Amino acid sequence: MQKVRFFCKTGFVMLLVGLISVTLLAAVPTLATAQQKTIKYGTMHPLTGAYAVLGLDQQRATEMAVEEWNAKGGVLGHKIIWLHRDDELKGNVAIRRVKELVEEEKCDFIGGTLSGSISLAMNEFACKTKTPYMAYCMSDMVLGADQCEYGAAFMMLPYSASLAVSQYAFKNVGKKWYSITADYRWGHSLLEGWMWQSQQMGGQFLGNVYVPLGTTDFSTYFAKIMAAKPDFIVMNNLGADQTAAIKQAVELGLTKNMKIICTKTAQSTIKELGPAYNENVIGGMTFYYKLRDKYPGAKKFVDKFMKKYGAPPEQDGEAGYVATNVLFMAIEKAGTVTDKKKIMKALEGLKYQLTKGPEYVRACDRQRVSSYVLVKGKGAKAKGWDIADIVAEIPGDSIIMSCEDNAKKLPFINVKLPK
Amino acid sequence: MSEIPWNVIAMQLFFGIALGCIFVLLSSGMSIIYGLLDMVNFAHGTFAMLGAYAVFVVVSLSDNFFVGIVSAVVIVGIIGMVIEFLLLKPLYGKDPLLPLLLTFGLSVAIPDFMKIAFGLIGKPVNFPDVLSGAITLGPLTLPGYRLFIIVFTLVAMISLWLFLKKSDLGMIIRASTRDSQMVQTLGINVSRIWTVGFGMGVGLAALAGAIAAPMMSATPDMGVDMTMTAFVVTVVGGLGSLGGAIVGGLFIGLVVAFTAYVAGAYSSVAMYFCMAVILLVRPRGLFGEQGRE
Repeated sequence: MQKVRFFCKTGFVMLLVGLISVTLLAAVPTLATAQQKTIKYGTMHPLTGAYAVLGLDQQRATEMAVEEWNAKGGVLGHKIIWLHRDDELKGNVAIRRVKELVEEEKCDFIGGTLSGSISLAMNEFACKTKTPYMAYCMSDMVLGADQCEYGAAFMMLPYSASLAVSQYAFKNVGKKWYSITADYRWGHSLLEGWMWQSQQMGGQFLGNVYVPLGTTDFSTYFAKIMAAKPDFIVMNNLGADQTAAIKQAVELGLTKNMKIICTKTAQSTIKELGPAYNENVIGGMTFYYKLRDKYPGAKKFVDKFMKKYGAPPEQDGEAGYVATNVLFMAIEKAGTVTDKKKIMKALEGLKYQLTKGPEYVRACDRQRVSSYVLVKGKGAKAKGWDIADIVAEIPGDSIIMSCEDNAKKLPFINVKLPK
Repeated sequence: MSEIPWNVIAMQLFFGIALGCIFVLLSSGMSIIYGLLDMVNFAHGTFAMLGAYAVFVVVSLSDNFFVGIVSAVVIVGIIGMVIEFLLLKPLYGKDPLLPLLLTFGLSVAIPDFMKIAFGLIGKPVNFPDVLSGAITLGPLTLPGYRLFIIVFTLVAMISLWLFLKKSDLGMIIRASTRDSQMVQTLGINVSRIWTVGFGMGVGLAALAGAIAAPMMSATPDMGVDMTMTAFVVTVVGGLGSLGGAIVGGLFIGLVVAFTAYVAGAYSSVAMYFCMAVILLVRPRGLFGEQGRE
């Protein structure tokens, strides 16, 4: 009986010791993490809505960049904690969630978004809260009064895309043009760039139609364009709108007599259009995955992305990847994770080479100066992801106005847009 | 005064009618469902989206667009009947808000399911070879596929009219639209008629989605706008009226086409403006019956 009691007592004590040991062992890494210094980076992406496919790409590329930095020990010894939210491509949702990221989650830095107007709103919030903000999309936020020392833009100014594509079109395609423009701020900015370049290069503007966002039938706009007989139609739209417009232009046989030039296009659009995105359709992008044949950095980025996610990155993902990397580079250069002013100062003029040739963030307005790529569709010859070929890469410095002009929105403020 | 470009006006008229034909198919389905079940199907565009995906899948497998169209109607019609039987039927006779909320829920859930199943990138449906290209009539270039849409809709609407007017089942459906209790007293299982009617309605929506698919690709979110358009056309034509759906669809198609010609930016707003005017002047719509407004 005594033996039984002894075994019971010993067993109970051993169980207790075991439990305490397990608890302590489990707590050790937690304690270690708690002691490890961290910084928080919060990003916003449209994961629902018309641009969800592009938003997902931004999110994935940001994740990849953060993982790479954490794998090499973080930034200045700080582990990066990355949080992300779905902005649903809606301004009110974006503002609510960015507040949540900064005020509740205490993010030190914010980034992302795909809409120019949302990026303007986020920039305003960043200015008020003094939180560095890395914009991933085409945006006018570095222009004029929208500037503040806490915002940086990593895709491209909308007019730069127009200047790059129009330069190529007027030299190689023809002079007479007609445009289809999405009826909101971004579309109008693209059209301004085209109108100005047309005046400089002797283009002949035949007309423009403003089309509401989300239009599904473009045939009703084409009768006028067919009658005008331009050398090419300019598409100042994106996503589902561009898909429908190109599809219906090809259906009406327009590409037999004229080319289609998309000021900005997307890899997913080309993929979705299949044979309709043929050799008579040319589109602009800030990044196309075939740049991997030209730059080792692009090859590293594209190969890793494809291995991880099964598809090449879009330009939106690339912008996110570069923005995230450059932010952490600036923190390292500044030698501080807390002095936001010093970090933004370090960002100004920062030179780097990541996914293309050598690039830099312009000191005066924290705008990434980067090249623009023009691709031509492969139509029925497309196979897998081999959907388009690069026809030109326009250097970034040649398509951006001086800081002084940008501040005054020159020369585009003088361009009179058609009614 | 500059000369009126008659060829452009004629083409605009042609494109407007072709667009209107898609609206006719879409809204006639919504009208049948409203007439029979006295409820607005907020997932109507979602069923059109399912039709577009069905045609994509079937064309990928069979390489035949026409087989794709027929299959889309059958597949989505059956899905509609199952949904009506399992989810909607238990709600009849309760708060009229419940079927509305249910169909609204479906319009959110089904697209998300499609995103998981087919991915976020839209799925292209090619124009059938026999209908690609255009017919030139003097100064007019008329695309073959749009001509097909017009002829096909005409045939589909005549068939539907004959079915509803001449067949026994059609007569029962019409009678149920008027007075379902009376039909029930005659010993006919009205509940089954509702299921068939709902299947027919969403089948017509699927037909609209399938026919529109080659022009815009199948995307999970395409149903949102289609539901709105169907609603506008049905209100303009008159809730529950098949003739109203036809006239309303063609009218809205022409309004959109000619607004696009004179003031492109307002082409979408124009149809809502028409709806507002009709609601103010004639709340029951162009062909709606009094008391159904």
